[in-house]
Amino acid sequence: MSKIRIVTDSTADLPAEVYQQYGIEIVSLKVHFGDEVYEDKDMDPDFFYQKLVQSSKLPTTSQPSPVDFLEVYKRLNETPDTSIISIHLSSAMSGTYQSAMLAKSMLEEKADITIIDGKSASYGTGMLVKAAAIGAANGKTRDEIVDYVTKLRQETKLYFLVDTLEYLHKGGRIAKASAVFGSLLNIKPILGIDDEGEVYAVDRVRGQKRAMNRIVELLKQQYGDKEVSVNIAYADKKEICDELGELVKQSLNVKSYSNSRIGSVIGTHAGTGATGVFVSPVLDI
Amino acid sequence: MNGSDFYNMVMASSQHLKANVEAVNSLNVFPVPDGDTGTNMNMTLTAGFQELSKKPSEHLGQAAAAFSKGLLMGARGNSGVILSQLFRGFAKAVSELEQADPQQVAAALQQGVDTAYKAVMRPVEGTILTVSREAAKQAVQIARRTQTIKDLMQAVVNTAKEALAKTPDLLPILKQVGVVDSGGQGLVFIYEGFLQACSEDQPVQGAATTPMSHVAGNVYAEWDDPEYVSDVRSSLGQAEAGVLTAPEPAQARIAAEDIEYPYDMEFFIDMSAYPEAALNFDEDEFRARLAKDGDSIIIIADDGMIKVHVHSRRPGDVLNAALEFGELRNMHIVNMRDQHREIVEGTTPAVPVYAETEPVRRKENGILAVAAGDGITEIFESLGVDYVVSGGQTMNPSTEDLVNAVKQIAADRVFILPNNSNIILSAQQVQELLDDQEVIVIPTKTIPQGMAAALAYNAHADKEQNVSNMEQAIGRVRSGQITYAVRDTNYEELTIREGDYLGILDNKIVVTTDELLETSKQLLTKMVVHGDEVVTVITGADSNEEMTDQLLAYAAEAYPDAEFEVVSGGQPVYYYIFSVE
Repeated sequence: MSKIRIVTDSTADLPAEVYQQYGIEIVSLKVHFGDEVYEDKDMDPDFFYQKLVQSSKLPTTSQPSPVDFLEVYKRLNETPDTSIISIHLSSAMSGTYQSAMLAKSMLEEKADITIIDGKSASYGTGMLVKAAAIGAANGKTRDEIVDYVTKLRQETKLYFLVDTLEYLHKGGRIAKASAVFGSLLNIKPILGIDDEGEVYAVDRVRGQKRAMNRIVELLKQQYGDKEVSVNIAYADKKEICDELGELVKQSLNVKSYSNSRIGSVIGTHAGTGATGVFVSPVLDI
Repeated sequence: MNGSDFYNMVMASSQHLKANVEAVNSLNVFPVPDGDTGTNMNMTLTAGFQELSKKPSEHLGQAAAAFSKGLLMGARGNSGVILSQLFRGFAKAVSELEQADPQQVAAALQQGVDTAYKAVMRPVEGTILTVSREAAKQAVQIARRTQTIKDLMQAVVNTAKEALAKTPDLLPILKQVGVVDSGGQGLVFIYEGFLQACSEDQPVQGAATTPMSHVAGNVYAEWDDPEYVSDVRSSLGQAEAGVLTAPEPAQARIAAEDIEYPYDMEFFIDMSAYPEAALNFDEDEFRARLAKDGDSIIIIADDGMIKVHVHSRRPGDVLNAALEFGELRNMHIVNMRDQHREIVEGTTPAVPVYAETEPVRRKENGILAVAAGDGITEIFESLGVDYVVSGGQTMNPSTEDLVNAVKQIAADRVFILPNNSNIILSAQQVQELLDDQEVIVIPTKTIPQGMAAALAYNAHADKEQNVSNMEQAIGRVRSGQITYAVRDTNYEELTIREGDYLGILDNKIVVTTDELLETSKQLLTKMVVHGDEVVTVITGADSNEEMTDQLLAYAAEAYPDAEFEVVSGGQPVYYYIFSVE
């Protein structure tokens, strides 16, 4: 019976306890404020967002190198009969997945490594990682886990709000939407991540309140009365997270509800006020 | 009838209609100062005549083709478009003929009618369509027994007048208001002009000779009663018969020198050339730099390109600032003082100071909106609309204006937001005149509907998504307009006096009082139904700040849970436009 080990990158934005509990390995991305370099996995979100707002220049992010992955894969592979499942940030948004693939090809020894493009970000990746870890703990096989994770990814819907499109625009992660500045009306864009793992503009509405209502409306259209698990990931504004959470709970049949933080790397690109709601149907693993 | 006969007929009808523009305008059911049928038909007909004058021919088919082309391009308003379709069919029927006998002319009139009916998605009886249909039908019936074109035209005119008189029986609103259909009346004038050209012994008359019902009250009076004629003329304040005096445009109230930032600039910064510079581009900083000597700043980032729009007094500084971040493409610079002079003095349009005709790059989707008012134009541009066509004071843009605007947009597919029910038909004609672009008309009937549609528009979504999203967005907004009545009339249960203020909700007059603030309050009350809507108040060129403040104070108290936003639209005719979502 092979032992399954889960690997991911720091943008999965899961709490440290979860990684510890399931023995999940993290490969960290980095955030650069000028000459200062920080490990995404070690960065406290509140500290990060304060720094983000105070900085005159926008930070940049960098992906792990293949060597960073190689170290982890090699080490895990020393235990015989190990099956590695490595789940990552959308390849359309980052070269992280590519680095992982390269690392796998660089490994000289025989190894059982499955690398999955999560096609999402933050909790979108984290959710898949957690599910895989739980599956492994429950004795599921590698193929069962991979199938389940793939299914979960397909059935999950994500919508998010941001204070401004500027961060996405400057970070270059918003090819599929035009960012209009200087709008004379109070317009709030609603964003999503599509099947290719790219950010796209779902809709634009007038004002924050209507934006939240619209998100709930879209979710209701998608899930109706089905039992769902909901997680709201937020950058720095818990009020938005809570308000949106209330609206979702009122409208959908929510079986489990949780919050998570958006870490420094995703935060650099989404910006302040970023709040994303992740909804999946309740599936058995 | 040959080509030169046709020419004389068109000339006579053109003069005759021009002389009676106000008579036709006064029949408009809606007593609001815009979208006038007479003006639109006159401008359409004039465009047709001008094109014919450029290419006069003895050959009837060629003359008719030239006339038809001019009408198609110059078509304004629904009645203008239908007129152009009537003659499009006519021209097709006679295209091979050097001259036509009464039977051929009758058949051509009939073909015109068939073409016009096909062009309109929902033909309404009791309008110009009915009048043209009855006249053509009669013409075809008697053509074989008719010796001369003159006799045929006499029958056409007689039948048309009869059909016109019956339009109130077919269209209830006409009966209610006590008028015959304005488009039908315009067509009657045109046919009368044709007839007059056929009979040299009857000079072209300046006044109409058609029975018409009196506007105030339900009394049908003879139109050529001299007293009545002068009453209508004086109440409309027109100088003299036969002269079309357009109302003074709002622009005339500003002097050219008052334009503080005269250079209207639009260009793209292509950041792919200097990627490091792109990282340094700070939108707020750039905007602040432009704001030192400019305003109306709109910045749109899309796919590595930054589109910049600004009104500046130092265009060189703007271009130099932009150069720091990339290459400049597709630059358009217009001196608005020249533009202003041309509007006020009615001179031919000035050539822009600098304009490139090479498009930046072809994109899949583009969007165009029709608007009147600088502020509203800016709103549309800030929503990502590629090109805004000026709707003008009371004129509607012609089909040609729209065609030229679509051509300015470097996109394979262009969505049009007409924002006025009288422009929808013209917009639908645009596709006919374009080969290499797909044109889709989203049927917006008001500015608020246009704004909602523009908001829902996504340049990166596919066609069906966009059409669906925009049409749904229209359904979620209610439009209100405040203006004044240009004449006395009855409308449903309302008695309207000239000069009273009108509150219009989704194109229906629902409120009228003799006070502007009171009318505005009452209309808002009818529009804010749930109490928590988003209300946008767009102020017109003729509104004043004090009154707007009073209105908002009232609204904030009456609807504490609603969100109110005030934007300066600068539109003519409508003191306020309300958008409620």
